[in-house]
Amino acid sequence: MRAEMNETSATSSVSKGCFVFKSSKKRKRHEGAGGYFGESGSESFRICQELWETVQKNTEVIQDELNKKVLDSLVEFIRKHSFGSSSAEWRLRSSEIPTAALMLGVNVTDHGMTFRSLCNLLQDSLTPFVVSVHAKECSAHDSFKKSSSQIVQNNGSAQSLPVVVIFRDFEAFNPQVLQDFILICSRYIQELPFVLIFGIATSPSAVQQRLPHSVSSLLCIKVFQSLSCTQHLASVFEKLILDPQFPFKLSSRVLQVLVGIFLYHDFSVQNFVKGLQLSMLEHFSSQPLSVLCCQKHQAMLHVKTLSQQNVERVRHLPSFMRYVESSEETCQNLLKNLHKYHKNYYPALKCLHSLTSSLPKFPLGKQIRELHVSCNEKNIWEMKEYESAMQLLRILAKDELIGALERCAEILQSPCTKKMQKVMQQVQDFITRLQNLENVSSEDPSGDGVNTSKMELQRKTDLFQLQKANGVAETLLEKETRRTKKLSQFELLRSQVMDFIDGFVREYLTPAHLQPLSEVCYYSSSGTLRQRLNVTPRTSIQTALTHPFYYLQNEVLKTDSGTISSVAPDICIAYKLHLECGRLINLYDWLEAFATVLSATEDKGGNSEEPGQVDSMTHARFIQAVSELEFLGFIKSTKQKTDHVSRLTWGGC
Amino acid sequence: PSKKSKKAQESDLVQQYFEAHSSSRVLTSDRTLQRLQTPKLQRDTLLGLLGKAPPLFAEEIEQLNQKHQKNFRQWMLQLHMGFNILLYGLGSKKPLLEKFRSSMLSEFDHVVINGFFPSITLKAILNSITLELLDHEGSFRNPGEQIDFIVRTLSADPSKHVFLIIHNIDGSMLRGDKTQNTLGQLATLQNMHLLASIDHINAPLIWDHSKMSLFNWLWFESTTFLPYAEETSYENTLLLQQSGALALSSLTHVLRSLTPNARCLSFQDFYQRCRESFLVNSDITLRSQLTEFKDHKLIRAKKGADGVEYLLIPVDNTTLSDFLEKNEQD
Repeated sequence: MRAEMNETSATSSVSKGCFVFKSSKKRKRHEGAGGYFGESGSESFRICQELWETVQKNTEVIQDELNKKVLDSLVEFIRKHSFGSSSAEWRLRSSEIPTAALMLGVNVTDHGMTFRSLCNLLQDSLTPFVVSVHAKECSAHDSFKKSSSQIVQNNGSAQSLPVVVIFRDFEAFNPQVLQDFILICSRYIQELPFVLIFGIATSPSAVQQRLPHSVSSLLCIKVFQSLSCTQHLASVFEKLILDPQFPFKLSSRVLQVLVGIFLYHDFSVQNFVKGLQLSMLEHFSSQPLSVLCCQKHQAMLHVKTLSQQNVERVRHLPSFMRYVESSEETCQNLLKNLHKYHKNYYPALKCLHSLTSSLPKFPLGKQIRELHVSCNEKNIWEMKEYESAMQLLRILAKDELIGALERCAEILQSPCTKKMQKVMQQVQDFITRLQNLENVSSEDPSGDGVNTSKMELQRKTDLFQLQKANGVAETLLEKETRRTKKLSQFELLRSQVMDFIDGFVREYLTPAHLQPLSEVCYYSSSGTLRQRLNVTPRTSIQTALTHPFYYLQNEVLKTDSGTISSVAPDICIAYKLHLECGRLINLYDWLEAFATVLSATEDKGGNSEEPGQVDSMTHARFIQAVSELEFLGFIKSTKQKTDHVSRLTWGGC
Repeated sequence: PSKKSKKAQESDLVQQYFEAHSSSRVLTSDRTLQRLQTPKLQRDTLLGLLGKAPPLFAEEIEQLNQKHQKNFRQWMLQLHMGFNILLYGLGSKKPLLEKFRSSMLSEFDHVVINGFFPSITLKAILNSITLELLDHEGSFRNPGEQIDFIVRTLSADPSKHVFLIIHNIDGSMLRGDKTQNTLGQLATLQNMHLLASIDHINAPLIWDHSKMSLFNWLWFESTTFLPYAEETSYENTLLLQQSGALALSSLTHVLRSLTPNARCLSFQDFYQRCRESFLVNSDITLRSQLTEFKDHKLIRAKKGADGVEYLLIPVDNTTLSDFLEKNEQD
């Protein structure tokens, strides 16, 4: 206890607020983060690091691929304006500055990467004179001038090269500074070929709002649209989450948390990747069996060196209960199966997605991530949405059906597991049969065939209209089921195809948690992730104040909801009493109520002192509780009335 | 059904807001703290009393803190992986962070910053990093330059890890946009690690998306239920009781150090009255004696509409009458 007192006093002082502690010992080589890794040891840490590097590399690649188009057209724009044959003449005529307005979306956290690659691209391919400025660096005129003057000096020799100034966050700039800068640039545009790039997070109208007409007329603006963040997320999913080669997996719950944060809070892919990093870190440091979460051949090696303790752990995995007799061999086989499962799962998922994503009303979701989450959560064929999707698929017209199957065949082409190749064979077989059917039916003059093809045509347009007006889907389905007509050849074949697809889904799209040993690769504690990334501190404070029992496990504190025990910590009592007040709180009355509650516990309510006589201990405790409430931001002092404080929250009892 | 009830709750909240703010009339009693026998408590009496107060639920609080201490290794790992740790929840988190500091950081360079300290400045923080930690002698023209220097020095030596512990990063002096931006820039450094705590219920409002991404927080709930003894010790706004006491003590101190003539100077006296009672002999002596009071902010001069100088005492009446009472006793 005494030692602790000394420690606190080392960092508390009434005269200074900063305390520096230099490590006295000669700094020894620290083993780095690996030293803090849990019981799973250094091997896990190495795998985790490797995977994280893959993730980083991949996200950069994705970013570059997605931005390529817009950045290339931007470079083209600059080139045209500064090197074009007509440019010199054009410049003589006017003093307009070529300007590119780059629409980037509200996810400001992802913009950094875009600008980095833009700068690199410009410097490599066009001009060494690129400046990128943040609004916070240019609050005043002179600091802005400084950064621009540097280029001007450098540019003396090579006049023909354009000078590109990038405004990273256009909205945050001081309009006056910006206007002055543009005016200055337009004066020198004859000698110095300026090009401006505005990074805009909102909409093109932001330019009109911030710049008056006299200034914006000096700019020759072209708008460039960058890719939407949902597309960005989709490609991250494609590359990282849905890649069978990437051994680390997220459970459906975890994915829901991460996607939820993305869609409802920030639209930031960078934060999504941060969530992925955190779950990797948590998984590898907390799950000792995570050494097996790597490429297949490596995992096979690791199985051989499993310690006895870890084998025991394998035996206790819930998904392993069916295979109680565990040995290295079964373990290896099961791991092989898990890898096989992944290899089959993702192509199957993509097939199902390509089949269902164009259906009206998107019963199984529009994006592949939604389908993935629902496949992973439970058996998809038990869901109502799956049934309705299948029903819609059953009324596809022939050429649509062929098209859909062809898309599936294409997806199945790339992976080379035997099972998938067999499936592909079957799909292609169906396609040829369907195509042959066309030949037969067109040659066959009997009325039945013609009728059906007409019917098909009719139905196809129906389906088309249906996509426009979604509401009709159910009625159409009903009509379909009610019709008990003799089935044509095509219809027979179609139902065969559907049965095949259904079987295919049932075989390959089983949820991952049913796979034995899935715990090795799947990170599933979504609660932890939510607590680390997306929290509401205020809720926690209010819970602690209203239900102290939640944190302090003492039976005395257990009360019905809405009331508070009179032995609760002082601040809880003060808080509870303050909830009963309106906008202003009379300190005296508050103190009296507080004293009443306290005296009730000390059992001296009977011989209570006369009003106005609060003992000094109660007074002191009250003062402490109230100043803590002020520190937390629930109340503040006010001059409206003597000895009153105003309440900053509302509601309560 | 849960969704429905949630919605109902929400509309209820809205209603409560308008109820609280609809009428400007205040429905509270007019009783004031004057009715108490000792309306003002001295600072040291307060501390003494609180020290004597029986500790409540000491065992449970201890358990709670033990639970938080189990996270220490995890924090170190996450800090090394580029995340920063943010603690929230009810109760002072200073002892917890101190414990972390003493048990985990002994072989690392680290800086502790008390965000609740009322005169902490960004400059002081940056200076303590550059001067004391990085042994840089020269001075800097602006914070930007100083940050650049820190960035350069630390990225040149990746094996040097620096830990910043900021108690109450939401403290009133650190709340500013610029300060938070600078701290965020420090936080992005690979080998600069931040551990911070917040307490104000609206603390997350100081960070927008871009600052959040600079800080790269991992949130840890650490409700400790420990009293905010140190954090609130600087606060004298609500300890209304205190400000009076402070003024009274300073009044007494100034008075004691004055010459007997000045001591007899009553506050409402004008020059004329002083002259009549043979206390001063000229305008200048009175003025010089008044300067003493002005310097200690016990008296304020105010020009009225007619250009005449009025003297007033910015101390409330009860304190003054206390003072007179005490003076007569002496």
